Amino acid sequence: MFHLVWLIPAFPIASFLVLAIFGTRLSKKAVPLFGVGSIALSAVVSILIMFRFLTSPPPGNHYTQILWTWVDVGGFKPQIAFYLDALSVLMTLVVTCVGFLIHLYSAEFMQEDEGYSRFFAYMNLFVASMCTLLLGNNLLLLFLGWEGVGLCSYLLIGFWYRDPANGLAARKAFIVTRVGDTAMTMGLFLLFDKLGTLQIQDLMHQALLHWAVGSPYAVAAALLLLGGAVGKSAQLPLQTWLPDAMAGPTPTSALIHAATMVTAGVYLIARTHILFSLAPSAQFAVAVVGAATLILAGFSALTQPDIKRILAYSTISQIGYMFLALGVGAWSAALFHFMTHAFFKALLFLGAGVIIESLHHEHNIFKMGGLRKELPLAFWTFLAAGCSLAGLPLITAGFYSKGLIIWDTWSSAQGSHVLWFAAVIGVLLTSLYTFRLIFVVFFGEVKTPVHKRPGLRMMVPCVILAVLSVVGGFLDTPPFLGGVHSFTDFMHLALPVMTEGPAGGMTEILSESFVTLAFLVGLYLAYFFYVQKREYAEKLTAPAIGKALHQFWLSDWGMDWLYERVFVRPIIWIARVDKQDFVDNIYSGMALLTEFCYRGVRKTETGRIRWYAAGIAAGSIIFVAIVLFL
Amino acid sequence: MLPLLIVTAAAVVVMLAISIKRSHLLAVWLTLVGLAAAFFSLWIVAPLTPIQVTPLLIVDGYALFYMGLILAATFVTVILAYGYLENQSGYREELYVLILVAALGSVVLVASSHFVSFFLGLEVLSVALYAMSAYLCARKPPLEAGLKYLVLAAASAAFLLFGMALVYAQLGTMQFGQIAAMLSGGACYSKALLLPGIALIITGIGFKLAVVPFHMWTPDVYEGAPAPVTAFIATVSKGAMVALLLRYFYETGMQHLGSVFLVFSIIAIASMIAGNLLALFQNNVKRILAYSSIAHLGYVLVAFLAGGTRAAEAVTFYLVAYFITTLGAFGVVSVLSNGERDADVLDDYRGLFWRRPVLAGIFTLMLLSLAGIPLTAGFVGKFFLVAAGASSALWGLIFTLIVTSVIGLFYYLRILVALYAPPAETGEAAPAGGLPALSRGGSYVLAALSVLLVWVGVYPAPILDAVQRAVSTLRLF
Amino acid sequence: MVLWPFVVFFVIVLIIPVGMLLLSHVLGQRHNEHATGSPYESGIVSEGSANVRFSVKFYLTAMFFVIFDLEAVFIFSWAVAVREVGWAGYIEILIFTAILVATLVYLWRLGALDWSPKQRGERS
Repeated sequence: MFHLVWLIPAFPIASFLVLAIFGTRLSKKAVPLFGVGSIALSAVVSILIMFRFLTSPPPGNHYTQILWTWVDVGGFKPQIAFYLDALSVLMTLVVTCVGFLIHLYSAEFMQEDEGYSRFFAYMNLFVASMCTLLLGNNLLLLFLGWEGVGLCSYLLIGFWYRDPANGLAARKAFIVTRVGDTAMTMGLFLLFDKLGTLQIQDLMHQALLHWAVGSPYAVAAALLLLGGAVGKSAQLPLQTWLPDAMAGPTPTSALIHAATMVTAGVYLIARTHILFSLAPSAQFAVAVVGAATLILAGFSALTQPDIKRILAYSTISQIGYMFLALGVGAWSAALFHFMTHAFFKALLFLGAGVIIESLHHEHNIFKMGGLRKELPLAFWTFLAAGCSLAGLPLITAGFYSKGLIIWDTWSSAQGSHVLWFAAVIGVLLTSLYTFRLIFVVFFGEVKTPVHKRPGLRMMVPCVILAVLSVVGGFLDTPPFLGGVHSFTDFMHLALPVMTEGPAGGMTEILSESFVTLAFLVGLYLAYFFYVQKREYAEKLTAPAIGKALHQFWLSDWGMDWLYERVFVRPIIWIARVDKQDFVDNIYSGMALLTEFCYRGVRKTETGRIRWYAAGIAAGSIIFVAIVLFL
Repeated sequence: MLPLLIVTAAAVVVMLAISIKRSHLLAVWLTLVGLAAAFFSLWIVAPLTPIQVTPLLIVDGYALFYMGLILAATFVTVILAYGYLENQSGYREELYVLILVAALGSVVLVASSHFVSFFLGLEVLSVALYAMSAYLCARKPPLEAGLKYLVLAAASAAFLLFGMALVYAQLGTMQFGQIAAMLSGGACYSKALLLPGIALIITGIGFKLAVVPFHMWTPDVYEGAPAPVTAFIATVSKGAMVALLLRYFYETGMQHLGSVFLVFSIIAIASMIAGNLLALFQNNVKRILAYSSIAHLGYVLVAFLAGGTRAAEAVTFYLVAYFITTLGAFGVVSVLSNGERDADVLDDYRGLFWRRPVLAGIFTLMLLSLAGIPLTAGFVGKFFLVAAGASSALWGLIFTLIVTSVIGLFYYLRILVALYAPPAETGEAAPAGGLPALSRGGSYVLAALSVLLVWVGVYPAPILDAVQRAVSTLRLF
Repeated sequence: MVLWPFVVFFVIVLIIPVGMLLLSHVLGQRHNEHATGSPYESGIVSEGSANVRFSVKFYLTAMFFVIFDLEAVFIFSWAVAVREVGWAGYIEILIFTAILVATLVYLWRLGALDWSPKQRGERS
């Protein structure tokens, strides 16, 4: 069974090739057949593997499939091999299944688009790369997938390339993540140089052998990998690309920029968790980055008028939670939140897509309203996802996963009370911006009439995801609510158990109560400002300080403004000043020299046979002279 | 021995078939069947190896591997030649006899362990090649090519023969194995005879390999000869010579005598530099490929100089990659050629992508492989060359290799740019009834070669295995 | 091995042709008259161009003669050693002759042996 794992990336890549080569010649019906069908097959394979993994786990709870060795030179022998353990099985399952639902949705969503087959080609390539990233057993293969998803992200953000703004957004995403990738590449070099392998399990083993806890190499390597993760997962300070990435088609945002690709950073850190546990300071940095990001992004989300940007900031903030969990050593909690987040955030984007489609591509939430009656199914599914995101207690998945993270932040040996407090504030913010969105869009009077209603292929994935966003949480519940541990137990097959610290007067039930309180406060504030007294919300921004703060948050704490001045402009300025710098002269000089040499040697090709024979004779004489006299 | 006999018999049979009934298709089929039979007979022979057949020939795993390579390359050439000659008028069938004879010469070369068989193989190969280069004797360029090749090859063969004579005069034997024994046995010999002998042998070998300063015939002959024949000269004749070079020098250890090593280094460096420089601003694709082949043989010499099993493996693997790539590149040229002239000017390729996207794609692949871009066979090959060189710390040579590869990129890119340039609107209206159909066999062969190219680039292990097994039978000095 | 005989030989090789050329240049008489440049034809003034075009057939036939004649040399060499090489040698020479015959058949069918070119046009 497990040896079928290579099929998971193989189906999408085959479909990508078909669509890329014959795409324009295929009929409109055949395109989704390949595009969606291939992902469906991958999903079936990963479900089978998951099932098998649960019923009869492989020895040692992991399985490696070596396909072939790429090259074998001087100890450097990268293998094309896939590694299955609880972590990669779970993430592959989520990626393929959520991916399948989103593909199904896109089959209808993108139907009218002229780039129908191109879209599916890119999406399939993305799924293939993502699975390669997750399944690769060495960091080189992981990096291949890493760059592959980056490329697809770039291609899909700029999918509607006729609008230069989309191209700019795509470039921004590519360049900003490239900053992180550079750090990550350096990390890979460091690891290979010091430990002599890139095969992940060997690498971890070697690291344990050679490096003590807190050794500078371990810290440096972990920090460099963290750099890559921060770039890919849009965490502070490299989060600026994600809101702009919303320029892509909505299914892209759902799949790549919410459910899967942006969590690659989480995967990377979880995969190399041994390295991070050898570098406590780096791990603490992960937690701090996560906590800071979740707060800052939460504030930014409060002020956005664009529905997709709200969701983008919310994604940043939720991934912040995952980073926080990783940082305090709550590995399985991070993965739990990854899974529930994949469900509800994908659904939120799909719902947003439905709304945007039915309102003539309107993105501004303040031009929407009263959609509860117009699009009832979209409303109920969106509400389910929104509640899950905000953490509606007891019944939603988001409550359980987030509650677990928050409790672990307190109770972990590496956790701290400040982080816990930040996380609870984050819940308040989440609840506030989520219900602000829901109240503004679905309640009040109708502002833009609905002109088109979604069909079956769009709504079925939404309903499935809505169910998952609710029931997904029951895989793992706190002791006072049933005490189910199936998810945590499963993750512990691959990831270590969190070390608990002193509880310090806090209990899990108390922590959950604080979370609930924060949720309710957020809900009430949203209700107060956006349903009861809409004018108060405007009054808040009226005074200078309120206006400034609003503006500040709207522009994501001025990060773009700052980067523009600190990095972009100086670089462009230097580039402009340095247009004809002397370093160039060296190269053009070399080119000129080469050309000059060419003109010289060209004269030897006379076409005259005498001359050629003379060449042969002269050469022989010289060589005879050399061997005789040297 | 069996493969040699089959190839010989095939040549006679094809000749008789021509005299009984002149049919292009029949001749091609007979040739292909003969080559395939010879190819598969390798497996029959394999369990018997290594055997010494008379003092002249040794059939071991190494020889068998190269025989397979040569026979396969000849097979491809024949298919290309069929499509090419279909457009030509006049007698066409004799080319296959010549090709078979040339293949026979090459096969003898790779199995030779004696100066006599060395020279015999060389001459059988050369004589067939003269006629093949001038095969389309109604046109001027092939005639010129044939004549130049004849005169220069004859001259260089004289050098070679004289060199052999000198070595024989000194050591009193012409068998490689005995030469090795005498050299290692510390037999006293005079530098004045032996070393010039080796230098002159290098002249003869260098001419066939087209390395500087014996390279000047290459572009003229490549340009003039019909495209499939050029493919044959570039691959089979050179490959056989490299096989012999490895066997001769590795088994006798002569490259470490006196300054012979220095001579080879000079040749390698000069070839890499001159080959790449000369190609820079060429406008004739066949000439560009000729110059690039000079440079490639320079690269091969780098690994050759490294010495040892590793180096022999690297050279052999590189040759496999080089065969695939060069056959593909000249295959594209020959598929595009018509009854009047070969498609060899850069302008013939301008905007090819917009007319024949698949063909342009294949050509792109071949060029990328020649340039050594990753995921192609050429990259893996070059990688092994550099690794072999590095393991012997030949830093100067490796440095030259890398710098000249960068220069080389320029002219490959020039062709690529032309391929994808917007089609020139020079009043050249599309011919009525669309583009002329390409030869079917040629297209299949090209497709197969491109698949092979990427396959070897991504998954070189099986080929590498075969190479390692083959090279392990070489008795290193 | 002593090197000096080679050096002497080399010098002599250089001296003799150079000396001959020099001597004839120095000692020879020089004149430039009407018939100086014309070829010597036993006192008869030559007429017309010397570049007469022979039929290529002469060369072709001569070539065949040379080739087949040379092949006979191998048969002679076999004949000398016929007892030593035994049956194996006999079979080898048989194959050799068979190939020669095949070549002859080919040439014959090609029309290379026909003197007049008209039949060459008829391709079988």
